[in-house]
Amino acid sequence: MALLEVQNLKKYFATQKAVDDVSLKIEKGQIFGLLGPNGAGKTTLIRMITGIFYPDSGSIIFDGKSFDPTKDASKIGYMPEERGLYKKMKIGEQTLYLAQLKGLTKREAVTKINQWFDKFEMSTWWNKKVEDLSKGMQQKLQFVTTVLHNPKLIILDEPFSGLDPVNTNLIKDEIFELAKNGATVIFSTHRMEQVEEICDHIVLVNKGQKVLDGTIKQVKQDFKENLFRISFSQPVSDELPNADLFSIKKQEDNLLIIQRNENRSNNEILQYLISQGLGIESFNEILPSLNDIFIRQVEGTPLARRFQNLN
Amino acid sequence: MKKILLIIQREYLVRVRKKSFIITTLLFPLLYVGLIFGTAYMSEKGTTRLKIAVVDSSGKFTQTRIDKENAMDNSSTLVLLNENVDSLNKHFEDKGFDGYVVIPSNTVIENRPDQIVIKSNRTLGLVSGVQTKLNNIWNEIKYEELGIDMEKRQLLNDSKLSVQAENMQDKGANADIAAVIGYVSGFLIYFILIIYGSQIMMGVMEEKTGRIAEIMVSSVKPFQMMMGKIIGIALVALTQFFLWIAFIFIIYNATKSGSVAGNSNVSQLVGGVQTVFTSVNVPLVVGMFAFYFLGGFFFYASLYAAIGSAVNEDMREAQSLSFPVTMIVIFAIFILMVAMKDPTGPLAVWGSIIPFTSPIVMMARIPYGVPGTVPYWQLGLSIVLLIATFILTAWFAGKIYRTGILMYGKKPTWKEMIKWALRK
Repeated sequence: MALLEVQNLKKYFATQKAVDDVSLKIEKGQIFGLLGPNGAGKTTLIRMITGIFYPDSGSIIFDGKSFDPTKDASKIGYMPEERGLYKKMKIGEQTLYLAQLKGLTKREAVTKINQWFDKFEMSTWWNKKVEDLSKGMQQKLQFVTTVLHNPKLIILDEPFSGLDPVNTNLIKDEIFELAKNGATVIFSTHRMEQVEEICDHIVLVNKGQKVLDGTIKQVKQDFKENLFRISFSQPVSDELPNADLFSIKKQEDNLLIIQRNENRSNNEILQYLISQGLGIESFNEILPSLNDIFIRQVEGTPLARRFQNLN
Repeated sequence: MKKILLIIQREYLVRVRKKSFIITTLLFPLLYVGLIFGTAYMSEKGTTRLKIAVVDSSGKFTQTRIDKENAMDNSSTLVLLNENVDSLNKHFEDKGFDGYVVIPSNTVIENRPDQIVIKSNRTLGLVSGVQTKLNNIWNEIKYEELGIDMEKRQLLNDSKLSVQAENMQDKGANADIAAVIGYVSGFLIYFILIIYGSQIMMGVMEEKTGRIAEIMVSSVKPFQMMMGKIIGIALVALTQFFLWIAFIFIIYNATKSGSVAGNSNVSQLVGGVQTVFTSVNVPLVVGMFAFYFLGGFFFYASLYAAIGSAVNEDMREAQSLSFPVTMIVIFAIFILMVAMKDPTGPLAVWGSIIPFTSPIVMMARIPYGVPGTVPYWQLGLSIVLLIATFILTAWFAGKIYRTGILMYGKKPTWKEMIKWALRK
């Protein structure tokens, strides 16, 4: 069952179609990657899902019901890309305050804060001020304030920026843990290797519109170019006739990268190579990386979206 | 509703626990009292005591009479000299005199000299002290020459008519006391608007530049955020205000029981405040003060909040946008000055009705009496207009706030902000 379903969402600003007719569906327990170049409309989309902006048109169904920002705010945890906390406020008080604003009682909040602070080894921070923390430590604190109230939907915008590898892993493990316990995570980033590692399902938006939607496996299959890497036990002679089975993309000692021609099968290629008397050590399909797909999809988009007049 | 209470609580506690709050609360009354007594002290000590030589050709300005005057008032000294005017003209400064004055020989009642000139080599400024002394001596001479004895003199001196204005509609109002109350309450509202208006603006800017606005807005409505901040800071202002009042009473009681000679000025002042409270319609004044304090506060606070949400971290941007608003508050103080002298004049009447100035100006008029000085229709219109404007401004500011708080980049103009407000 889908936790969040967005239908034909539109938000136009004075000079831009920030989100232009986007529909998507996020299943419960999924880690969902929301990708797109700068200015594609990701933040506007997220702001509508979190109730910060009202959509011009379209509908948001959250947890089976029409989305109601005042009621559902407590079920969502949002860590915006532009993050910040009250610098002069004590960390414990601040976390308590933000948790209470999300609807926790003071007692619940204190228990939860203690649990999380213990887990992240932050217990000694309670009476420190935010301005005393390093950027990475602030980031950890920000993550805690986002997930403290056990939200059903967690939206993380670039959660790892500014974190060292140790803390990145710590947060990453928490994200998996939260998803395993039933939370749904929307993960927005430009770092494609993180998306491949973490997400089940991705959506790519560009110029306010959805251009890609599917599981990572599916997307890769959709974008594969029938490239194969074959390694041989001996160097390949230069004059390998490529017949009408494949074309050679790269040849290097005993390594060959080929592109299979349409309507040909792997077996035909293998049979041909064996018939040529070559010893095959490995035969692998090269799937495109998300990075390649991303670049291919948004290629030709101007680096900054032009301002257009919609009137 | 629970969320707005949480916001109010945070905004209040964060500010009240600050060292700067405690310091300003303690120092402001001290500074204010210090300023009053300081200026009084300076004006007394700072002026030069004129030493004037008196050359009496009439023989009537005797040493005894001059000594008597010098003993009564030491702000200037007269010294009787029996010297040639020409030589004195050259040497009076060498002898330590600021100037000299010559009393003509034919000075009699029937032939009063038109003007007595103090000759000096520099500008002496005010010589009213010397004039009073010479006049007192002249009076003595006149009484003596006319044969008026002490008893008759007493009668003459006591027979002055005292003139005071009385409003037939409102006999209780005493113009002097009303002016003081109007001045004090108008200025209190003015200070609070200026100090706390900018506090609200800075608070909103902190949320925006600290990038916490977006996190907050995902939990609460921007309007709740703005109102929570305004109400929280209003409570801080009220706390400070009540502490100040408490201090006045503590100082009053301390001076009353201590009765140290040096403190008599203070207790006089405070005692004066107490008489004020007994001779005016206290419930009305207090009630109206509370209304105009809160009304004015909420009205201006929402304007400052809107400005704070629109600008970025640059203080200069904030100042240039808030300058017109601050100017209006300062302008209101000038109208207050006029209204204190002429509480029924057109400037006072309209200033106390138009909501931009009414919180300050109306407080200068109300102590003179309702409905004597301020007819019911004016008070009613002023109250209704202030409430209506406050609701309108809060709505307007809320719209600007909602857009501005998440908007980074260049400083918007007033025109753009109005556009934000008018957008659906």
